[in-house]
Amino acid sequence: MAEGAGGAAANGGSDEKVLDFLDSVDSYLTTMESLAPILRQGWFDLASARHSMGVFRVSSASLDLKDHSASTYLQMVGHESDDSFVGQPSFSLCKWASADNKSCCSEEEIPDSQLRHRGTSRLSENQEQNSNGDDSLKTVDDLVKKERAKTLSVFGTLVSPKLRTAQLSFETALEVLVEAANIRSSMLSAYSQVQKQMEDTREGEIGPIP
Amino acid sequence: MYGFEALTFNIHGGYLEAIVRGHRASLLTASDYNNLCQCETLDDIKMHLSATEYGPYLQNEPSPLHTTTIVEKCTLKLVDEYKSMLCQATEPLSTFLEYITYGHMIDNVVLIVTGTLHERDVQELLEKCHPLGMFDSIATLAVAQNMRELYRLVLVDTPLAPYFSECITSEDLDDMNIEIMRNTLYKAYLEDFYRFCQKLGGATAEIMSDLLAFEADRRAVNITINSIGTELTRDDRRKLYSNFGLLYPYGHEELAICEDVDQVRAAMEKYPPYQSIFSKLSYGESQMLDKAFYEEEVKRLCLAFEQQFHYGVFFAYMRLREQEIRNLMWISECVAQNQKSRVHDSVVFIF
Repeated sequence: MAEGAGGAAANGGSDEKVLDFLDSVDSYLTTMESLAPILRQGWFDLASARHSMGVFRVSSASLDLKDHSASTYLQMVGHESDDSFVGQPSFSLCKWASADNKSCCSEEEIPDSQLRHRGTSRLSENQEQNSNGDDSLKTVDDLVKKERAKTLSVFGTLVSPKLRTAQLSFETALEVLVEAANIRSSMLSAYSQVQKQMEDTREGEIGPIP
Repeated sequence: MYGFEALTFNIHGGYLEAIVRGHRASLLTASDYNNLCQCETLDDIKMHLSATEYGPYLQNEPSPLHTTTIVEKCTLKLVDEYKSMLCQATEPLSTFLEYITYGHMIDNVVLIVTGTLHERDVQELLEKCHPLGMFDSIATLAVAQNMRELYRLVLVDTPLAPYFSECITSEDLDDMNIEIMRNTLYKAYLEDFYRFCQKLGGATAEIMSDLLAFEADRRAVNITINSIGTELTRDDRRKLYSNFGLLYPYGHEELAICEDVDQVRAAMEKYPPYQSIFSKLSYGESQMLDKAFYEEEVKRLCLAFEQQFHYGVFFAYMRLREQEIRNLMWISECVAQNQKSRVHDSVVFIF
């Protein structure tokens, strides 16, 4: 009876791992499918911008070859042991890091003042916190807009709204790519766990080798 | 005196007017565009264009074709036609024809200066310049550090020299200064061209005034929309608008303070010719504004051919060809990106 219960628990655990793997595969395929239309829209918007501003104005000849720091970074976090990564690596995007302000200006950063605090608080304190939060968000928003405009300034400072739309499309595509990388990482991790589970089960059935 | 051009125009301008009307007849028709819009690949487009006057320019291009190649070769055809007209023109038609290219010259100057600022190779930049805007000392632009040097070293001997008086500073060239320089030069050029056409008088003055006024108004709208959300101040924006056109001066005052597309619409709808343009757009939308303006421009350019004995036909023909090249570029991009359903978003038919 105890063995049956233990076996059922082990099966349940293995089923859970398989389900996790299948869920992560589904998420990965869904994410990758969503990437193609975003990229298509980005290329189309770029073509619209070239049509609007002129092909001679929006071309690769305008790109800046001077040494300059990247405006967007990809950070990878994973436990490194000797030559290989142990554990599941994860990726995060640090968007619109300006040369003056080394930290990210990403819109995903939520300032602490926006977090809700339980307990009694006066209305004016709440309003002040909210307005501080709004000001912080506005500052981040302004910084992001400034960095976006700076990147597009290689084509001129008065660019068509279509070029800005193209920039947003490619920015979204980059976010989706990083999301896909993270999902893939968890998918591979789930797969390795399922594989390990299967090997353990097989060894358990065969028994120890004399 | 207006009305008596029929007596004397053909002495010097008759032959070239006949030539340009012949060129106008070879513009692509609606059935050409229908065939092109159904192409599956860029090689299909090349095959359809081989039956037109673009054929000789594209026939030697190897596959796979690129959209920029199609635009370059079609532009070469326009340049050849322009040069053949220019070399046979006498004054004042030759000066008029040269005026048509100054806009491209300004774009080339800005491209070279911007590219040099970005440490691009000068030869590479020269290859990307518009062929209609080339001049002898253009490569020397790369050595200038500020506008004063730009003027003193290179541009003083070019037709753009008179336009520099309004924007000469000793400030180093950067992206914002270059953009203001571009728009200030273009403003000065348009005003100069307008004054030149007024001096010519007659049908040329009447027809070109309308076309240039439309160009000035469209520029004002584009500057306004493109500068929304940028660091360009209202005063700086106002200074970039031309001092003529239907919107001058009251429309410009309203446009200078616009903060979004709906305010631009509200300012423009007070003018009946532009009310019809903005009525085609939904509120808050500016994507189709370019197409609406191009359609209106094409209508006015085609009307220029309804009258004889004036120079406006040359300007109209050049602009119609440029529109045709834009159409071909758009169709090629939609075919290359497999977005044929969107091809009619920006194609403007020319009849």
